[in-house]
Amino acid sequence: MIPVLGLVVGLVAGLLLDPSVPVWLQPYLPIAVIAALDAVFGAVRAVLDGIFNDKVFVVSFLSNVVVAAFIVFLGDQLGVGAQLSTGVVVVLGIRIFSNVASIRRHLFKA
Amino acid sequence: MSEPRRGSGDSENHDENENGGDRTGSAGQAPPPSSGGAKPRPDASMTLITTMLERPLEPGYQEAADRRTAGGLPAATSTRTVIVVVMAIITGFLFAVAAQSLRPKPTAAAMVKDELVSRIEGLQTHGTAQEASIVALTRQVHDLEALELAQAGGSDLTATIDSLEQQAGIVAVAGPGLILTLDDASSAGGNANAGTRPTGGFESGRVSSADLQIVVNGLWAAGAEAVGINGHRLTTTSAIRFAGQAIIVDFRPLTRPYTVTALGDPDTLRSRFDPSFGGVYLSSLTKEFGIRSNVTAGERLSVPGAPGARLFVAEPLGAPRGNAGAPSVSTAGPPPTTPTTTPPTTAAPPALPSGASTP
Repeated sequence: MIPVLGLVVGLVAGLLLDPSVPVWLQPYLPIAVIAALDAVFGAVRAVLDGIFNDKVFVVSFLSNVVVAAFIVFLGDQLGVGAQLSTGVVVVLGIRIFSNVASIRRHLFKA
Repeated sequence: MSEPRRGSGDSENHDENENGGDRTGSAGQAPPPSSGGAKPRPDASMTLITTMLERPLEPGYQEAADRRTAGGLPAATSTRTVIVVVMAIITGFLFAVAAQSLRPKPTAAAMVKDELVSRIEGLQTHGTAQEASIVALTRQVHDLEALELAQAGGSDLTATIDSLEQQAGIVAVAGPGLILTLDDASSAGGNANAGTRPTGGFESGRVSSADLQIVVNGLWAAGAEAVGINGHRLTTTSAIRFAGQAIIVDFRPLTRPYTVTALGDPDTLRSRFDPSFGGVYLSSLTKEFGIRSNVTAGERLSVPGAPGARLFVAEPLGAPRGNAGAPSVSTAGPPPTTPTTTPPTTAAPPALPSGASTP
């Protein structure tokens, strides 16, 4: 419950503060969001599996975001940014889907 | 979708776990199944997708849990540690910032366009209200005139004024007539005959003001007693003109379809209009350019009165000044004769002061 509260606090803070993101950072935001979603759902699943570990969560979160952003950056430099972004979104999307499916099985037994 | 992670005690899970641990470069290699020396998996060459689909959870969680159980600790740590809360706040912040900064912002052009649209709509509402008040005031003036004439007790001018007003097109009239509907071709622009018609720079499948002028003049010539287009009465000073791509009648833009209502005996109108130049022109428009037209007869049609039939600049010769109003318009003559004969544009409307002042 406390992490959920933290999430809400972060959302409200982001909405209220409304910081301006520098332009060079904007292409990485969608990928970072998807990577963060993946880490969050993975953490939720781990909690439900009973094997949650805070350090693993933090490390996977940060590495997900950084690696995803790096892949997009590399793709931009090589001229295949859009394709690599699509690849990252597909991979992370599949992971999110199966994590959510597992969470669903935990919660609803279906 | 199976769940190989659950029940972390058996050997297969541990084995998978190790594979997950050292898979730094081995995503394409099949993990050798260790349970009882079974055959390799039939889908061994597709382990990338299988791995993604079946084990989406970070393998690190299982490893850490195993380490903790081996060390005598509970498998899971608390979710209420400071770092988790901090990460949750960061995550929420990230989501909010991303959503706000990536939402498409209204561009300057869109804002200007919105403002223009609202201004146009506001002015149109204003114009409609003003027109309605003109109609009401005209009726009041008419009533007062009738009252004044009745009180003055002179010769009965009411009938004269009524007939003059009818000829000037100030009062709404009703009666049998024809309804002629014109509309752009269903595929405006996709016409092979484009260019054979002086369209002034737009698609030949569109109704132009010249078309409307010719048709309306044809209806006048066929004996129409009152003509209205889309609810605008055509008077002796009306002009059907072009502004950009829009057809304008008395400075009011029209929208498709263009409905011309002509009062008069339907059969006579038809029999005179069809063989006339206007009728032939209309049928050729339909045949060659696909402009849709439709003529129907009606027993009880009505044409509204023109909101304002005043001369602003011109003065009737020989008439005393200050007697402006309906009678002065009658100097222009009966309606069927004046608006005809001058395609492509009729005379400049009198509301423009420059029209009369320039030599």
